[in-house]
Amino acid sequence: MSDIKQAPDGLEVARTLDAKGLSCPMPLLRTKKEIEKINSGEILEVLGTDPGSRNDIPGWCSRSGHEYLGEKEDSGFIRFYVKKK
Amino acid sequence: MSEESIFTNKVKDLYKILCQTEWNATVAGILVGLFSVLIMAWWRPWGAVGAIRNWGDWILYGIAHFSGAEWGFFGEFYDEAPKGILMNSGSVIGIGFVAGAFLSACLGNDFAIRIPPVLEMCKGIVAGILMGIGSTLAGGCNVGGMYNAIGNLAANGFTMWAGLVAGVILGLKYIYWEMEHISWGSGGARTIDFPYAVKVILGIITLAVLIWGANKYAVADSDYVASLCGILVISAALGYTMQRGRWCMVQGFREPHMTGDCTLAKSVALSIAVVAVGAAVLKYEVPMRADGEPVLATINYVRGTFGWGSIVGGFIFGFGAMLAGGCGSGTLWRVGEGQIKLWLVVPFFGITNSIMTNYFRDMELEASGKLGSYVYLPDVLGYTGTIILICAIMALWYLVVTWNEDSGKLIVEM
Repeated sequence: MSDIKQAPDGLEVARTLDAKGLSCPMPLLRTKKEIEKINSGEILEVLGTDPGSRNDIPGWCSRSGHEYLGEKEDSGFIRFYVKKK
Repeated sequence: MSEESIFTNKVKDLYKILCQTEWNATVAGILVGLFSVLIMAWWRPWGAVGAIRNWGDWILYGIAHFSGAEWGFFGEFYDEAPKGILMNSGSVIGIGFVAGAFLSACLGNDFAIRIPPVLEMCKGIVAGILMGIGSTLAGGCNVGGMYNAIGNLAANGFTMWAGLVAGVILGLKYIYWEMEHISWGSGGARTIDFPYAVKVILGIITLAVLIWGANKYAVADSDYVASLCGILVISAALGYTMQRGRWCMVQGFREPHMTGDCTLAKSVALSIAVVAVGAAVLKYEVPMRADGEPVLATINYVRGTFGWGSIVGGFIFGFGAMLAGGCGSGTLWRVGEGQIKLWLVVPFFGITNSIMTNYFRDMELEASGKLGSYVYLPDVLGYTGTIILICAIMALWYLVVTWNEDSGKLIVEM
């Protein structure tokens, strides 16, 4: 993956998934499941610690049509933002 | 901008490319193939089980030694100390590999002690046991039993492949089921991160120790020990490459059925073709070279598991690897990345494989053909036929996974 995409500030999050501590492939599978619970146009926030997610989540978004908004680094974990198609 | 600052920027860019950005899957696959051929040319093919089993031998010997246990397998197999972890070529491969992955994770700022939720730790233990069983039956993990087996022109690599695919699909179905039905054990996750400067220092120390270690081996009196210098360096290069490229074979098998993504599947196929061509060169009896003696004995890494051993072994191993979230090699580089779940996989993998391997050896299961037969493909098809077969199967796999990426026909729905 090339440079890391930073998420814009002030995103309105509809749902948050805590996937901290989970390793490949669990964060992506849980994201896939969780996104079913929000409506089109709403934003899912995923909290994760697996470095693999930096690749998996944007890659999955581009295949499944959801919009990957970027990530924000927090203390000890990363917040990923996905807008449902 | 002065010329100096342009140069400084170029140095920074180079550091970023070598040590921080994730390597493209195709590049990583070719590099893994290249290093796999180099380590074969140096001495022997690499694998993950050789290391993990040696460490398992030590755990069991330690238990027998300190508790005085003499019953059952303890008395039978573990009364004498196994070969030292710094003296066994398999173990040195594992150490070099983990050190290389750790170096990469430190420089790339990926290293952190990642303690998973309780359920994941339990899965790690079960996964380790299953992977230990599977790799004993198949005569190796995904590396020695499949990747390097096909690469070494051995038929048992293909049968393990078939087993792996089935095991991975079942594992995926299990994980879907688990997400719906098991809510227990989701707490307890913690990540202990370190400042980047500390990681860089740890990385530099690791690099220095690797260089020092290789040079120390190189001057040893024993030929066996002196040969370990290249083994250490090349396996560190493998670990570094795989962590940097997040190159995981089980992901190559899993992703086409999970999301349809075939990036790693294509990369693994390419990598296997590279190793196969390299092995054909090393194992071919070139008349002009050393009076026609091949560089590598043709039987090297051909196991007597072409048959049910590698199919069932691959199936159990694939299912275990799904629970672990990493195959044999993927587990080891994630160990270097600080993932505690995989730290738990390794000892249970090692203990199970150690005990089973000793029993299998004792009962001569492999030698007597109970697990399958030894088939060196060029003996059956000739070198031309073997290379054509391997490349054709890799091309077919490429076509299937890319077709599936667009059609989604092989995706297992949640």
